[in-house]
Amino acid sequence: MRRFLLPLILLALFIGESIFVQVTPHDLLGSGKIAVPHFLMAALLFLTIFGSKKHGILYGLLFGLLFDIVYVEIIGIYLFLFPVIAFIATKLMRILQTNIAMASIIVILGISLLETGVYQMNLLIHHTDMEFAVFLSSRLLPTLMLNAIFIILAVYPFKRLSEKFADSLNE
Amino acid sequence: MPQFFLNKRLIILLVSIIILVALIGFSLKDRENLTWPEQFLKDTTGFIQNAVSSPVNYVAGFFENVEDLQNTYKENKDLKTRLDELARLESEVQRLKKDNTELREILDKKDSLSEFEPKQATVIGRNPDRWHELLIINKGKNAGIEPNMAVITSKGLIGKVKSSNTFTSTVQLLSSMDPTNRISAKIQAGENNFFGLIEGYDKEEGLLLLKRIPYDAKVEKDQNVITSGLGGVFPESLPIGKVVDVVPDEFGLTQTAYVKPGADFYDIGHVMVVKRGALQPELMEMVDEKEEEL
Repeated sequence: MRRFLLPLILLALFIGESIFVQVTPHDLLGSGKIAVPHFLMAALLFLTIFGSKKHGILYGLLFGLLFDIVYVEIIGIYLFLFPVIAFIATKLMRILQTNIAMASIIVILGISLLETGVYQMNLLIHHTDMEFAVFLSSRLLPTLMLNAIFIILAVYPFKRLSEKFADSLNE
Repeated sequence: MPQFFLNKRLIILLVSIIILVALIGFSLKDRENLTWPEQFLKDTTGFIQNAVSSPVNYVAGFFENVEDLQNTYKENKDLKTRLDELARLESEVQRLKKDNTELREILDKKDSLSEFEPKQATVIGRNPDRWHELLIINKGKNAGIEPNMAVITSKGLIGKVKSSNTFTSTVQLLSSMDPTNRISAKIQAGENNFFGLIEGYDKEEGLLLLKRIPYDAKVEKDQNVITSGLGGVFPESLPIGKVVDVVPDEFGLTQTAYVKPGADFYDIGHVMVVKRGALQPELMEMVDEKEEEL
């Protein structure tokens, strides 16, 4: 049972992101500012850092594909970025210590990488014509603020959860 | 050089980038329908979203109602002043409708571009990343919803159906930037109508761009913009919004109007999918005819 708890929570976050956008007002952090919830990415990175690296990347692939199919309808954007960012996190964790503060910083870094990556890809396929400076102030900054709040709330529970998940894998 | 090809990680990276580009190319091409694994996944997640969204909407609706209560007094005042006008308008609409059907009967013209049948649907999901403004609604092919149908709320047009699965469909909003997202619209200017195309959205101002209006058209502020029905898919006279500003385009050959959309693109709970009454011209037919002529 404990093995299935984490995937279920990831699925709940996957659906929750969409509901979050629906119920919160669109100018949550000021008018013209777009704050995108990346709770799923944060949870995947916590799993990679505290739990199992292999499963972090694997679930990244799985939920990336699901995200692309269900929400974006362009397959490849999140399918590529979720696992790659999880992979970068594993590389960083080799150099850094595994504690809560460090993990939070890495997750923030990962989310800014994700948001920038998605922006670059959309620029490439002409689905946006936003300038980089505008992107920084109206999307990246509010997004990081919103997700920082989530990370502060979720870092400890996810640490426990990921460690339990890793234990259940070893049994 | 051989070392280069022996580096396993590099090879994996290169291969995955090739697959990535192929996949993006595949999904960007103009597809009539999604592949069946995609449809299956969308329907399955749609089922879960459907189960979750109704209690969530109930709770959100409660808070909205409380907020509404605070404004009731002021709203009531405003509404009372408009009520007298409404009775007069209603009788006039009745008379005009009757006139219209009688005249149509005389002319023996049955089809009208403005006829449509609406289908109610509830929004069960929204793309969280807000780059591609997509909604997921809880009606699909088995309710008769097909790609390219117009989607409206009570206040006006909000978008079109991008793809439909068996039980859910995806709606692309007017505010999403997609080069293939074009809607034939007209500006009601008294006796005249000026035609143009809705192409693009100004995110910062929240205004739609109505391009390709003839350069000599005298468009003014606050004129209504509605669909023209000439695109072949949407019915006529669905409200879109009001003109805010008109500027000549970069070469001075046409004009561009900024249109304030009537509908709110964010606070959307229930939508109507519109199936137009008049027959749609088949694209294949038109292509074939042309080729024969040539």
